[in-house]
Amino acid sequence: MPEKPKDKEESSESGKPVPEAEGISETLPARMDGAEAQASADEPVVAAVSPDLGQPTTSVPTTPAVRVVSEIDEPAVATIRLEKKHPLAIRWMHWVNFPVLFTMIWSGLLIYWNDSDNAYQHPHAVYRVGVGSLTLVRLFPPWFWKLINAPYRVTEGLGYHFFFMWVFAINGILYVSYLLISGEWRVLVPERRSFLDAIQVTLVDLHLRKGLPPQKKYNGAQKIAYTSVVLMGLGSLVTGLSIYKPTQVHWITTLLGGYEMARWEHFWLTMGFCAFFVVHVGQVILAGWNNFRSMVSGYEIVPATKASLEEERRVG
Amino acid sequence: MSDGREEREEQEQRRKWEKEKKDRDDDLDRDWERDGERERRDSRAVEVEALDAAVRAQSGQRTRRSFLVAAAAAAGGYGFYRWLDRSPMNMRLQEPLRHMLRVNAKVSRAIFDERGLAPTYPVAKSMELRTNGNYGLKMDLVPESYRLQMVGVENAGRLPQYVDDVTAWEYQYRVKQEAGPVEHDTKVRPKSEDSAGKADPNGDAGAGLGPMMKGGPASTMVGGRAKGGDQKAPSELSAAMEKMKRRPRGQEEAGMSRSTLMPGTPGLLLKMDEVTSLPHHELVTEFKCIEGWSQVVHWGGYRLADLIAKFPPAKKADGSLPKYVYMETPDGDYYCGFSLQACMHPQSLLATEMGGRPLAQWHGAPMRLHMPIKYGYKQIKRIGLIAYTDRLPDDYWTKLGYDWYAGL
Repeated sequence: MPEKPKDKEESSESGKPVPEAEGISETLPARMDGAEAQASADEPVVAAVSPDLGQPTTSVPTTPAVRVVSEIDEPAVATIRLEKKHPLAIRWMHWVNFPVLFTMIWSGLLIYWNDSDNAYQHPHAVYRVGVGSLTLVRLFPPWFWKLINAPYRVTEGLGYHFFFMWVFAINGILYVSYLLISGEWRVLVPERRSFLDAIQVTLVDLHLRKGLPPQKKYNGAQKIAYTSVVLMGLGSLVTGLSIYKPTQVHWITTLLGGYEMARWEHFWLTMGFCAFFVVHVGQVILAGWNNFRSMVSGYEIVPATKASLEEERRVG
Repeated sequence: MSDGREEREEQEQRRKWEKEKKDRDDDLDRDWERDGERERRDSRAVEVEALDAAVRAQSGQRTRRSFLVAAAAAAGGYGFYRWLDRSPMNMRLQEPLRHMLRVNAKVSRAIFDERGLAPTYPVAKSMELRTNGNYGLKMDLVPESYRLQMVGVENAGRLPQYVDDVTAWEYQYRVKQEAGPVEHDTKVRPKSEDSAGKADPNGDAGAGLGPMMKGGPASTMVGGRAKGGDQKAPSELSAAMEKMKRRPRGQEEAGMSRSTLMPGTPGLLLKMDEVTSLPHHELVTEFKCIEGWSQVVHWGGYRLADLIAKFPPAKKADGSLPKYVYMETPDGDYYCGFSLQACMHPQSLLATEMGGRPLAQWHGAPMRLHMPIKYGYKQIKRIGLIAYTDRLPDDYWTKLGYDWYAGL
């Protein structure tokens, strides 16, 4: 067992590299993970160093004598570390938003049902898919209303909608404020490169291509999706306000193309949230437990060699 | 001869042994070294493994802690929803939700002050307004029997239109002579109407077989499934009404208004010419129904503000004006409450014409309200009474779960 020099004992003995102390993890040499170390123990040491770890190890010994010295110099370090991925505030606001958004969608449906009532005379003019006089589908079909038990619950819908709109709005405003103040917006807002990356990522996800482009916290597709959904939230607030007070803020309503247009926009933004939700949950399932857990506990287990996110938060 | 040879052989043998021994020793040395090397590397792997395990353990600890907090938060959230949903009903709406509607109204008043003007449109954009809701209009009103009751007017007693009991005025009705273009309050397609060319989203040719058409009472907005019971009028009022042997008031779902006048209430009885002598105004605005539809409508009529100026409310003892205005249909089946300020809005119109023609009976002839700062359910048809009051007036749809304020 190699002896540990006293001066470095603290950082390695504790076994938990402090995530904030990025300097430590960067200066330490790359190590193979436990399984690889076991399997390659009989091989020459040079070969035992996993070549795909990217960061070349400076301590690869050529002679036993040198090696022993180097091992004394370099204490054993964990091959993994905990990365603080999601700040506490983000996690709370993310999870608060989940039921609140669903309450808004559900109560919105209860309200919207009323527009499809009396459909024989006034089929929903606003919420349809079609071009000109050709209507492909009017939303929603009767079986859907029945399924979600929407009929004759308009007042309940209005009551909930005008209650939780405050939670939705305040949560969203706090979220954006936090992004701006903490610098977290830098990991979220797409760069020029993100748009090309997003196409690549999508192709990889569809198994049409191999090899993901390099990324930091989020890939290009994620950056675009997460930024869009925040903007959609803003869109829902603005279109919602223009429907809620179309006389008092008629200039907003007019800018949005009028009352009916604003309702159309409000509706399709909601459909956008639903689409986002489906893709988001699908991707989270594919990404696995380590990723999902980080949205609850904040920490993700990453290879020790992975660059810290702090820098991206600081400088983008 | 052999001594030298033997000696040589012996020497050689010894050298060989020594060499072998040395080799063996070297081998041993090497083996020892290699074992040590292996041992070191094994121990190093174990050490790394232990460090990794420590990281994982730390992660596990954090995860457990976070999921505990998450579970507590989820339970709290669920509890909150449950509390909200099971809160006692206040006029068919959970009290916290009702309370929030009032808070929202306060916020709206504070920010917008109800003074914004609704956008207006060219007449060419206007269309025939849907008929939607016939409460208080189920019989035709004989035009000659129409009087507008006004209560709470300043110095009413000295005006020639004053009567001791405005409720004693008897409106005359007759059976509907002409149905409206679409009397579809029952949500069943009128038999007379041809469905050719109409969209048929329910696949039942509009016969009312679709799930949307079934199960509800006449009202589009509230069904039998609505939570909370009917709002009952005070029993003494019901008793007084019964004693008078008149047609009972408040025959629709929301029941009798708590703000309807007690018999013996003094006030003014105005003929239509008291209204039609005011300056005439026309307005093309978008009518918005809380059901979710809207239509641009061409209105003609008289400003409510002008009528209020002509018959101003009596001031209270402290010199201030009453806060509210209450209106109802002559039969008391439909009724609305407003703030005095909303009635003073320049676009609040006593409409007597629609689409350039005199108002039809099914649209509320002789006079209905148009108020673009409110939803359609506040724009009462066939106004029989305008009363100034300082008590929050009852309101038909508020009793069935809707917002009293309804401000747009």
